[in-house]
Amino acid sequence: MNSVHFTSGMGEPAVVITRVAGRQWHAVEDDRVVGRGDASRRPDGRIFLSVDAWHGAVFDQLADAMLADLPKPLYTVVDEADPDVTSHWERVGFMTRRREWEYLVPTDPRVTGLGSVLPPSDVTIVAVGEAEEVPLRTLDRAIRDEVEAAVGWQEMLAEVLPRLDGATLRDPSKYAVAAQSDRYVGLLRVAPVTRQPRIGLIAVRSDQHRRGIARALLAHVLGSLHRGGIETASAEVNESNGAAMALFEGVGARRASSNLELVLR
Amino acid sequence: MARTSDGIEVEGTVIECLRNATFKVELQNGHKVLAHISGKIRKNYIKILPYDRVLVELSPYDLTRGRILFRYRT
Repeated sequence: MNSVHFTSGMGEPAVVITRVAGRQWHAVEDDRVVGRGDASRRPDGRIFLSVDAWHGAVFDQLADAMLADLPKPLYTVVDEADPDVTSHWERVGFMTRRREWEYLVPTDPRVTGLGSVLPPSDVTIVAVGEAEEVPLRTLDRAIRDEVEAAVGWQEMLAEVLPRLDGATLRDPSKYAVAAQSDRYVGLLRVAPVTRQPRIGLIAVRSDQHRRGIARALLAHVLGSLHRGGIETASAEVNESNGAAMALFEGVGARRASSNLELVLR
Repeated sequence: MARTSDGIEVEGTVIECLRNATFKVELQNGHKVLAHISGKIRKNYIKILPYDRVLVELSPYDLTRGRILFRYRT
């Protein structure tokens, strides 16, 4: 356990920063925890930090201790509407790497204009929970390879939950897919959050782009949610992904908030 | 209400999402506090919505302010 003492300026130790576990730090003042730091490694190998402190000075002390202990690059996520936390991270050297918009997506076909949208004639949509696992995993792997070879998976939506080595698809029951003869060519993952389902991923094989498959998947899933009494879903889109932003804005989705991914190199 | 060595943690219900990434939370005792979400929740992209049941750590310096540590499944 490593500890760093910070003085109050009066010569007395005021705050003690201690690494209490491999990836956890505490700031203790008068036997009371007044701040916590946490580091976690995402499936793509990147290390993301968080610091919670009631005072900016304690935030800085925790961050300094963590940065001294951890290899760079380091990442964190902040709500762009929270300038205080953003400025704390900037003060210790982090810079904005990218922005993700959170969209609120209406489900009503009268609003989305998707009521009459159908997939291309050689494609059928398989409802959420009905996709076969083996071809779905094959599609997921193919799409990830395509993305990795193009913009890189780090530019896509954040995936933060741990998973088994090599397994990129956690729960096949959350996917709707676009099927073409003997293979799947597109997928949409939706997390069934009770009051506001979350569209986590829409992707189509590169050789099937610009055929309206993503729009047909969206029409199918949003229509199902609407029939189930859900009025709004949410989705996060990387600001650099113009096609995805156009897709959502084209169905009447509106921007509700934004997250910034910050990096210290 | 549980008082730990780290501070006061109490359950509540989110009643309003405000600007500046803050939430108005009604605690079990009826008091209302303004709460941010913790960095750990933010880092894991957990969304907080009105009517969510949450665990709030109250600030030891101002009991009208807090930090959302956990969102219970509903």
